[in-house]
Amino acid sequence: MRMFLVALAATAMAIGGLATHADPETDRIAFQKYYTTKFPSVPRDDFQNGIYSIDKVSREEWMEIEEFPPYELAIDAGRDQFETPFANGKSYSDCFENDGAVRGQYPYWDAERKEVITLELAINECREANGEKPLKYQKGKIAELSAYMSFMSRGQKVNVVIPTDDPDALAAYARGKEFYYRKRGQLNFACIDCHGSGSGNRVRSEMLSPAYGHPTGWPVYRSKWGAIGTIHRRFGGCNRQVRAASFKPQGREYRELEFFLTYMSNGLEFNGPSARR
Amino acid sequence: MLKKLISLPIAAAFLVSCASVSSNDDFNAAWEAADAKRKEAAAVGYEWRDTKKFLKKAKAEHEAGNTEAAMKLVAKAHEEAEDGIAQHAREAELWASRVLK
Ligand code: HEC
Repeated sequence: MRMFLVALAATAMAIGGLATHADPETDRIAFQKYYTTKFPSVPRDDFQNGIYSIDKVSREEWMEIEEFPPYELAIDAGRDQFETPFANGKSYSDCFENDGAVRGQYPYWDAERKEVITLELAINECREANGEKPLKYQKGKIAELSAYMSFMSRGQKVNVVIPTDDPDALAAYARGKEFYYRKRGQLNFACIDCHGSGSGNRVRSEMLSPAYGHPTGWPVYRSKWGAIGTIHRRFGGCNRQVRAASFKPQGREYRELEFFLTYMSNGLEFNGPSARR
Repeated sequence: MLKKLISLPIAAAFLVSCASVSSNDDFNAAWEAADAKRKEAAAVGYEWRDTKKFLKKAKAEHEAGNTEAAMKLVAKAHEEAEDGIAQHAREAELWASRVLK
Protein backbone atom coordinates (compact mmCIF):
# COMPACT_ATOMS: atom_id res chain seq x y z
CA MET A 1 0.00 0.00 0.00
CA ARG A 2 2.76 2.37 1.01
CA MET A 3 4.67 1.49 -2.15
CA PHE A 4 1.58 2.15 -4.17
CA LEU A 5 1.17 5.63 -2.66
CA VAL A 6 4.80 6.46 -3.28
CA ALA A 7 4.47 5.31 -6.87
CA LEU A 8 1.31 7.37 -7.24
CA ALA A 9 2.99 10.45 -5.85
CA ALA A 10 5.93 9.92 -8.17
CA THR A 11 3.63 9.65 -11.16
CA ALA A 12 1.73 12.76 -10.12
CA MET A 13 5.00 14.62 -9.78
CA ALA A 14 6.16 13.41 -13.16
CA ILE A 15 2.92 14.56 -14.74
CA GLY A 16 3.01 17.86 -12.89
CA GLY A 17 6.61 18.30 -13.90
CA LEU A 18 5.77 17.55 -17.50
CA ALA A 19 2.94 20.02 -17.53
CA THR A 20 5.08 22.87 -16.27
CA HIS A 21 8.35 22.03 -17.92
CA ALA A 22 7.20 20.71 -21.26
CA ASP A 23 9.87 21.20 -23.86
CA PRO A 24 9.50 24.25 -26.12
CA GLU A 25 8.56 22.21 -29.16
CA THR A 26 5.71 20.45 -27.35
CA ASP A 27 4.55 23.87 -26.16
CA ARG A 28 4.67 25.30 -29.66
CA ILE A 29 2.67 22.51 -31.22
CA ALA A 30 -0.02 22.73 -28.54
CA PHE A 31 -0.06 26.54 -28.74
CA GLN A 32 -0.56 26.65 -32.50
CA LYS A 33 -3.11 23.87 -32.43
CA TYR A 34 -5.17 25.80 -29.90
CA TYR A 35 -5.61 28.69 -32.34
CA THR A 36 -6.04 26.69 -35.52
CA THR A 37 -8.74 24.70 -33.70
CA LYS A 38 -10.38 27.78 -32.26
CA PHE A 39 -10.42 29.58 -35.61
CA PRO A 40 -10.71 26.74 -38.14
CA SER A 41 -11.62 29.01 -41.04
CA VAL A 42 -8.49 31.13 -40.74
CA PRO A 43 -5.74 29.95 -43.11
CA ARG A 44 -2.60 29.35 -41.07
CA ASP A 45 -0.52 32.12 -42.63
CA ASP A 46 -3.29 34.64 -42.07
CA PHE A 47 -2.58 34.64 -38.32
CA GLN A 48 0.28 36.96 -39.31
CA ASN A 49 -2.30 39.70 -39.73
CA GLY A 50 -3.30 39.92 -36.08
CA ILE A 51 -6.83 41.00 -35.39
CA TYR A 52 -7.63 41.24 -39.11
CA SER A 53 -7.32 37.48 -39.41
CA ILE A 54 -10.52 37.10 -37.41
CA ASP A 55 -12.33 40.46 -37.55
CA LYS A 56 -14.04 40.61 -40.94
CA VAL A 57 -15.38 44.13 -40.49
CA SER A 58 -12.13 45.86 -39.60
CA ARG A 59 -10.28 43.73 -42.14
CA GLU A 60 -11.87 45.63 -45.02
CA GLU A 61 -10.90 48.97 -43.57
CA TRP A 62 -7.37 47.65 -43.05
CA MET A 63 -7.05 46.39 -46.64
CA GLU A 64 -7.87 49.89 -47.82
CA ILE A 65 -5.29 51.38 -45.48
CA GLU A 66 -2.69 48.94 -46.80
CA GLU A 67 -3.08 50.45 -50.29
CA PHE A 68 -1.33 53.60 -49.05
CA PRO A 69 0.40 52.23 -45.99
CA PRO A 70 1.01 54.75 -43.21
CA TYR A 71 4.33 53.06 -42.39
CA GLU A 72 5.87 53.89 -45.76
CA LEU A 73 7.45 57.12 -44.54
CA ALA A 74 9.04 55.21 -41.69
CA ILE A 75 10.57 52.70 -44.10
CA ASP A 76 12.07 55.56 -46.13
CA ALA A 77 13.40 57.30 -43.04
CA GLY A 78 14.85 54.01 -41.85
CA ARG A 79 16.55 53.41 -45.19
CA ASP A 80 18.12 56.88 -45.02
CA GLN A 81 19.46 56.14 -41.57
CA PHE A 82 20.68 52.73 -42.62
CA GLU A 83 22.63 54.14 -45.55
CA THR A 84 24.07 57.14 -43.75
CA PRO A 85 27.59 56.44 -42.44
CA PHE A 86 28.42 56.88 -38.76
CA ALA A 87 30.98 59.50 -37.73
CA ASN A 88 33.69 56.84 -37.93
CA GLY A 89 32.87 56.12 -41.58
CA LYS A 90 31.29 52.74 -40.93
CA SER A 91 27.58 52.08 -41.16
CA TYR A 92 24.83 49.68 -40.19
CA SER A 93 25.74 47.44 -43.10
CA ASP A 94 29.00 46.68 -41.30
CA CYS A 95 26.90 45.13 -38.51
CA PHE A 96 24.02 43.70 -40.54
CA GLU A 97 24.61 41.69 -43.69
CA ASN A 98 22.36 41.56 -46.70
CA ASP A 99 21.34 45.27 -46.68
CA GLY A 100 19.78 44.75 -43.29
CA ALA A 101 17.49 41.92 -44.37
CA VAL A 102 18.18 40.01 -41.16
CA ARG A 103 14.82 40.03 -39.37
CA GLY A 104 14.59 36.25 -39.50
CA GLN A 105 17.70 35.94 -37.32
CA TYR A 106 16.06 37.63 -34.33
CA PRO A 107 15.42 37.14 -31.52
CA TYR A 108 18.17 34.63 -30.81
CA TRP A 109 19.86 33.10 -27.79
CA ASP A 110 23.45 34.24 -27.30
CA ALA A 111 25.09 31.32 -25.50
CA GLU A 112 28.19 33.26 -24.53
CA ARG A 113 26.40 36.27 -23.10
CA LYS A 114 23.61 34.05 -21.78
CA GLU A 115 20.85 36.35 -22.92
CA VAL A 116 18.28 36.94 -25.62
CA ILE A 117 19.31 39.35 -28.36
CA THR A 118 16.54 41.18 -30.18
CA LEU A 119 16.78 43.20 -33.38
CA GLU A 120 16.40 46.52 -31.58
CA LEU A 121 19.04 45.62 -29.02
CA ALA A 122 21.40 44.65 -31.85
CA ILE A 123 20.74 47.99 -33.59
CA ASN A 124 21.79 49.92 -30.51
CA GLU A 125 24.79 47.70 -29.89
CA CYS A 126 25.89 48.36 -33.46
CA ARG A 127 25.63 52.09 -32.81
CA GLU A 128 27.56 51.93 -29.57
CA ALA A 129 30.28 49.74 -31.09
CA ASN A 130 30.73 52.53 -33.62
CA GLY A 131 30.83 55.35 -31.14
CA GLU A 132 27.22 56.51 -31.61
CA LYS A 133 24.72 57.17 -28.85
CA PRO A 134 22.05 54.49 -28.36
CA LEU A 135 18.51 55.31 -29.50
CA LYS A 136 15.38 55.30 -27.35
CA TYR A 137 13.70 51.93 -27.64
CA GLN A 138 9.98 52.44 -28.15
CA LYS A 139 9.47 54.75 -31.11
CA GLY A 140 11.17 57.20 -33.43
CA LYS A 141 14.45 56.38 -35.11
CA ILE A 142 14.84 52.84 -33.81
CA ALA A 143 11.34 51.94 -34.97
CA GLU A 144 12.15 53.42 -38.39
CA LEU A 145 15.34 51.39 -38.70
CA SER A 146 13.49 48.31 -37.60
CA ALA A 147 10.74 49.10 -40.13
CA TYR A 148 13.25 49.33 -42.96
CA MET A 149 15.05 46.16 -41.94
CA SER A 150 11.79 44.27 -41.48
CA PHE A 151 10.58 45.47 -44.85
CA MET A 152 13.79 44.23 -46.45
CA SER A 153 13.23 40.90 -44.68
CA ARG A 154 9.59 40.32 -45.57
CA GLY A 155 8.89 36.68 -46.20
CA GLN A 156 11.67 35.36 -43.98
CA LYS A 157 10.50 32.51 -41.79
CA VAL A 158 10.03 32.85 -38.07
CA ASN A 159 12.49 30.26 -36.86
CA VAL A 160 13.61 30.92 -33.30
CA VAL A 161 16.06 28.28 -32.13
CA ILE A 162 16.13 27.24 -28.49
CA PRO A 163 19.14 25.05 -27.83
CA THR A 164 17.60 22.35 -25.66
CA ASP A 165 21.02 21.25 -24.39
CA ASP A 166 21.61 24.70 -22.89
CA PRO A 167 19.96 24.99 -19.47
CA ASP A 168 20.36 28.79 -19.47
CA ALA A 169 18.51 29.09 -22.77
CA LEU A 170 15.76 26.81 -21.50
CA ALA A 171 15.51 28.87 -18.31
CA ALA A 172 15.16 32.10 -20.32
CA TYR A 173 12.44 30.48 -22.42
CA ALA A 174 10.69 29.21 -19.28
CA ARG A 175 10.73 32.69 -17.71
CA GLY A 176 9.27 34.23 -20.87
CA LYS A 177 6.57 31.58 -20.89
CA GLU A 178 5.76 32.07 -17.22
CA PHE A 179 5.49 35.81 -17.80
CA TYR A 180 2.91 35.18 -20.51
CA TYR A 181 0.71 33.02 -18.33
CA ARG A 182 0.93 34.91 -15.05
CA LYS A 183 -1.85 37.24 -14.02
CA ARG A 184 -0.77 40.75 -13.17
CA GLY A 185 -2.01 44.17 -12.23
CA GLN A 186 -5.00 45.44 -10.35
CA LEU A 187 -7.31 43.94 -12.98
CA ASN A 188 -5.68 40.54 -12.49
CA PHE A 189 -5.23 39.46 -16.10
CA ALA A 190 -2.65 37.30 -17.83
CA CYS A 191 -1.66 37.86 -21.46
CA ILE A 192 -3.26 34.53 -22.27
CA ASP A 193 -6.60 35.58 -20.70
CA CYS A 194 -7.07 38.20 -23.40
CA HIS A 195 -5.17 36.69 -26.31
CA GLY A 196 -6.00 33.00 -25.68
CA SER A 197 -9.44 32.19 -24.32
CA GLY A 198 -10.44 35.83 -24.82
CA SER A 199 -9.37 36.07 -28.44
CA GLY A 200 -12.35 36.79 -30.67
CA ASN A 201 -14.21 38.49 -27.80
CA ARG A 202 -14.66 42.22 -27.60
CA VAL A 203 -13.48 44.56 -24.87
CA ARG A 204 -15.25 47.86 -25.28
CA SER A 205 -15.18 48.40 -29.05
CA GLU A 206 -12.08 46.33 -29.70
CA MET A 207 -11.85 42.67 -30.65
CA LEU A 208 -9.01 40.71 -29.05
CA SER A 209 -6.51 39.10 -31.40
CA PRO A 210 -5.07 35.58 -31.18
CA ALA A 211 -1.50 35.39 -29.88
CA TYR A 212 -0.48 33.11 -32.71
CA GLY A 213 1.16 35.51 -35.17
CA HIS A 214 1.57 38.33 -32.66
CA PRO A 215 5.30 38.87 -33.18
CA THR A 216 5.47 38.74 -36.99
CA GLY A 217 4.43 42.19 -38.14
CA TRP A 218 6.60 44.59 -36.14
CA PRO A 219 7.20 47.42 -35.95
CA VAL A 220 3.60 48.60 -36.23
CA TYR A 221 2.12 51.90 -37.29
CA ARG A 222 -0.77 52.32 -34.91
CA SER A 223 -3.40 54.95 -35.64
CA LYS A 224 -3.81 55.41 -31.91
CA TRP A 225 -0.09 56.22 -31.60
CA GLY A 226 -0.09 58.21 -34.84
CA ALA A 227 3.37 56.75 -35.32
CA ILE A 228 5.37 53.60 -35.68
CA GLY A 229 6.34 51.73 -32.52
CA THR A 230 8.18 48.60 -31.41
CA ILE A 231 6.75 45.40 -29.96
CA HIS A 232 8.12 46.29 -26.52
CA ARG A 233 6.06 49.45 -26.62
CA ARG A 234 3.01 47.27 -27.17
CA PHE A 235 4.04 44.93 -24.32
CA GLY A 236 4.20 47.96 -22.04
CA GLY A 237 0.77 49.14 -23.15
CA CYS A 238 -0.77 45.72 -22.57
CA ASN A 239 0.77 45.55 -19.08
CA ARG A 240 -0.50 48.99 -18.17
CA GLN A 241 -4.02 48.43 -19.41
CA VAL A 242 -4.49 45.79 -16.73
CA ARG A 243 -3.00 48.34 -14.31
CA ALA A 244 0.31 46.61 -13.83
CA ALA A 245 3.50 48.64 -13.99
CA SER A 246 5.24 48.07 -17.31
CA PHE A 247 8.81 46.85 -17.62
CA LYS A 248 11.77 48.52 -19.24
CA PRO A 249 11.78 48.19 -23.03
CA GLN A 250 14.61 45.81 -23.96
CA GLY A 251 15.04 44.82 -20.32
CA ARG A 252 15.45 41.13 -19.59
CA GLU A 253 11.73 40.50 -18.98
CA TYR A 254 10.46 41.77 -22.32
CA ARG A 255 13.29 40.21 -24.30
CA GLU A 256 12.52 36.81 -22.80
CA LEU A 257 8.83 37.39 -23.38
CA GLU A 258 9.59 38.14 -27.03
CA PHE A 259 11.76 35.00 -27.19
CA PHE A 260 8.88 32.83 -25.97
CA LEU A 261 6.18 34.54 -28.02
CA THR A 262 8.18 34.48 -31.24
CA TYR A 263 9.05 30.82 -30.76
CA MET A 264 5.32 30.11 -30.48
CA SER A 265 4.92 31.54 -34.00
CA ASN A 266 7.72 29.52 -35.58
CA GLY A 267 6.79 28.56 -39.13
CA LEU A 268 4.96 31.78 -39.98
CA GLU A 269 6.63 34.58 -41.92
CA PHE A 270 7.86 37.97 -40.81
CA ASN A 271 5.67 40.53 -42.57
CA GLY A 272 6.46 43.82 -40.86
CA PRO A 273 6.03 46.64 -40.76
CA SER A 274 2.25 46.64 -40.44
CA ALA A 275 -0.66 48.96 -39.82
CA ARG A 276 -3.02 48.58 -36.89
CA ARG A 277 -5.78 50.58 -35.37
CA MET B 1 -9.09 87.53 32.04
CA LEU B 2 -6.92 89.42 29.63
CA LYS B 3 -4.10 87.10 30.39
CA LYS B 4 -6.31 84.19 29.57
CA LEU B 5 -7.39 85.72 26.30
CA ILE B 6 -3.83 86.19 25.22
CA SER B 7 -2.64 82.81 26.28
CA LEU B 8 -5.41 80.99 24.51
CA PRO B 9 -4.19 81.63 20.99
CA ILE B 10 -0.65 80.91 22.11
CA ALA B 11 -1.71 77.60 23.58
CA ALA B 12 -3.68 76.84 20.48
CA ALA B 13 -0.76 77.67 18.25
CA PHE B 14 1.45 75.49 20.38
CA LEU B 15 -0.97 72.60 20.10
CA VAL B 16 -1.30 72.93 16.35
CA SER B 17 2.44 73.01 15.84
CA CYS B 18 2.84 69.97 18.09
CA ALA B 19 0.19 68.12 16.14
CA SER B 20 1.81 69.03 12.86
CA VAL B 21 5.22 67.89 14.00
CA SER B 22 3.91 64.53 15.04
CA SER B 23 1.69 64.17 11.97
CA ASN B 24 4.69 65.05 9.86
CA ASP B 25 6.61 62.20 11.43
CA ASP B 26 3.63 59.90 11.09
CA PHE B 27 3.25 60.80 7.46
CA ASN B 28 6.90 60.34 6.64
CA ALA B 29 7.04 56.99 8.37
CA ALA B 30 3.90 55.77 6.66
CA TRP B 31 5.11 57.05 3.31
CA GLU B 32 8.49 55.37 3.66
CA ALA B 33 6.86 52.09 4.67
CA ALA B 34 4.52 52.20 1.68
CA ASP B 35 7.36 53.01 -0.69
CA ALA B 36 9.43 50.14 0.71
CA LYS B 37 6.50 47.79 0.07
CA ARG B 38 6.18 49.12 -3.44
CA LYS B 39 9.84 48.34 -4.04
CA GLU B 40 9.34 44.87 -2.61
CA ALA B 41 6.52 44.31 -5.10
CA ALA B 42 8.64 45.67 -7.96
CA ALA B 43 11.49 43.33 -7.02
CA VAL B 44 9.28 40.33 -7.82
CA GLY B 45 7.84 42.02 -10.92
CA TYR B 46 4.48 42.81 -9.37
CA GLU B 47 4.31 46.56 -8.93
CA TRP B 48 0.94 47.90 -10.03
CA ARG B 49 0.56 50.77 -12.42
CA ASP B 50 -0.66 53.56 -10.14
CA THR B 51 1.12 52.88 -6.86
CA LYS B 52 3.94 55.32 -7.55
CA LYS B 53 1.43 57.94 -8.68
CA PHE B 54 -0.47 57.62 -5.39
CA LEU B 55 2.73 58.11 -3.42
CA LYS B 56 3.64 61.19 -5.42
CA LYS B 57 0.18 62.65 -4.97
CA ALA B 58 0.32 61.88 -1.26
CA LYS B 59 3.44 64.02 -0.93
CA ALA B 60 1.77 66.90 -2.71
CA GLU B 61 -1.34 66.66 -0.54
CA HIS B 62 0.79 66.52 2.56
CA GLU B 63 2.72 69.60 1.53
CA ALA B 64 -0.56 71.40 0.88
CA GLY B 65 -1.60 70.56 4.43
CA ASN B 66 -4.25 68.02 3.46
CA THR B 67 -3.15 65.44 5.95
CA GLU B 68 -6.19 63.23 5.76
CA ALA B 69 -6.13 62.99 1.96
CA ALA B 70 -2.38 62.38 2.06
CA MET B 71 -2.68 59.54 4.55
CA LYS B 72 -5.49 57.96 2.54
CA LEU B 73 -3.31 57.89 -0.55
CA VAL B 74 -0.42 56.39 1.37
CA ALA B 75 -2.70 53.68 2.72
CA LYS B 76 -3.97 52.96 -0.78
CA ALA B 77 -0.43 52.67 -2.14
CA HIS B 78 0.58 50.39 0.71
CA GLU B 79 -2.41 48.14 0.11
CA GLU B 80 -1.72 47.93 -3.63
CA ALA B 81 1.88 46.93 -2.97
CA GLU B 82 0.76 44.22 -0.57
CA ASP B 83 -1.85 42.99 -3.03
CA GLY B 84 0.79 42.80 -5.76
CA ILE B 85 3.08 40.75 -3.55
CA ALA B 86 0.22 38.41 -2.65
CA GLN B 87 -0.71 38.12 -6.32
CA HIS B 88 2.85 37.14 -7.15
CA ALA B 89 2.78 34.39 -4.53
CA ARG B 90 -0.65 33.17 -5.63
CA GLU B 91 0.45 32.97 -9.25
CA ALA B 92 3.49 30.85 -8.40
CA GLU B 93 1.39 27.77 -9.01
CA LEU B 94 -1.70 29.05 -10.75
CA TRP B 95 0.00 30.23 -13.92
CA ALA B 96 0.85 26.70 -15.01
CA SER B 97 -2.83 25.79 -15.13
CA ARG B 98 -3.30 28.26 -18.01
CA VAL B 99 -0.61 26.90 -20.29
CA LEU B 100 -2.16 25.85 -23.59
CA LYS B 101 -2.01 22.10 -23.94
C1 HEC C 1 -7.16 43.10 -20.94
C2 HEC C 1 -6.84 42.43 -22.15
C3 HEC C 1 -5.40 42.33 -22.59
C4 HEC C 1 -4.36 41.74 -21.91
C5 HEC C 1 -4.38 41.13 -20.53
C6 HEC C 1 -3.23 41.80 -22.79
N1 HEC C 1 -3.57 42.40 -23.97
FE1 HEC C 1 -2.41 42.53 -25.63
N2 HEC C 1 -3.90 43.53 -26.59
C7 HEC C 1 -5.13 43.83 -26.07
C8 HEC C 1 -5.88 44.61 -27.02
C9 HEC C 1 -7.28 45.17 -26.81
C10 HEC C 1 -5.05 44.75 -28.15
C11 HEC C 1 -5.39 45.47 -29.47
C12 HEC C 1 -6.29 44.60 -30.30
C13 HEC C 1 -5.66 43.31 -30.63
O1 HEC C 1 -4.84 43.22 -31.57
O2 HEC C 1 -5.92 42.32 -29.90
C14 HEC C 1 -3.83 44.03 -27.85
C15 HEC C 1 -2.78 43.89 -28.75
C16 HEC C 1 -1.62 43.19 -28.49
C17 HEC C 1 -0.55 42.98 -29.44
C18 HEC C 1 -0.52 43.53 -30.86
C19 HEC C 1 -1.07 42.56 -31.83
C20 HEC C 1 -1.00 43.09 -33.22
O3 HEC C 1 -1.17 42.26 -34.15
O4 HEC C 1 -0.81 44.27 -33.44
C21 HEC C 1 0.41 42.25 -28.82
C22 HEC C 1 1.74 41.80 -29.41
C23 HEC C 1 -0.05 42.00 -27.47
N3 HEC C 1 -1.29 42.57 -27.32
C24 HEC C 1 0.66 41.30 -26.52
C25 HEC C 1 0.25 41.15 -25.20
C26 HEC C 1 1.08 40.59 -24.17
C27 HEC C 1 2.49 40.07 -24.35
C28 HEC C 1 0.34 40.62 -23.03
C29 HEC C 1 0.77 40.25 -21.63
C30 HEC C 1 1.90 41.02 -21.12
C31 HEC C 1 -0.95 41.17 -23.36
N4 HEC C 1 -0.97 41.50 -24.68
C32 HEC C 1 -1.98 41.31 -22.48
C33 HEC C 1 -5.61 43.44 -24.83
C34 HEC C 1 -4.88 42.75 -23.88
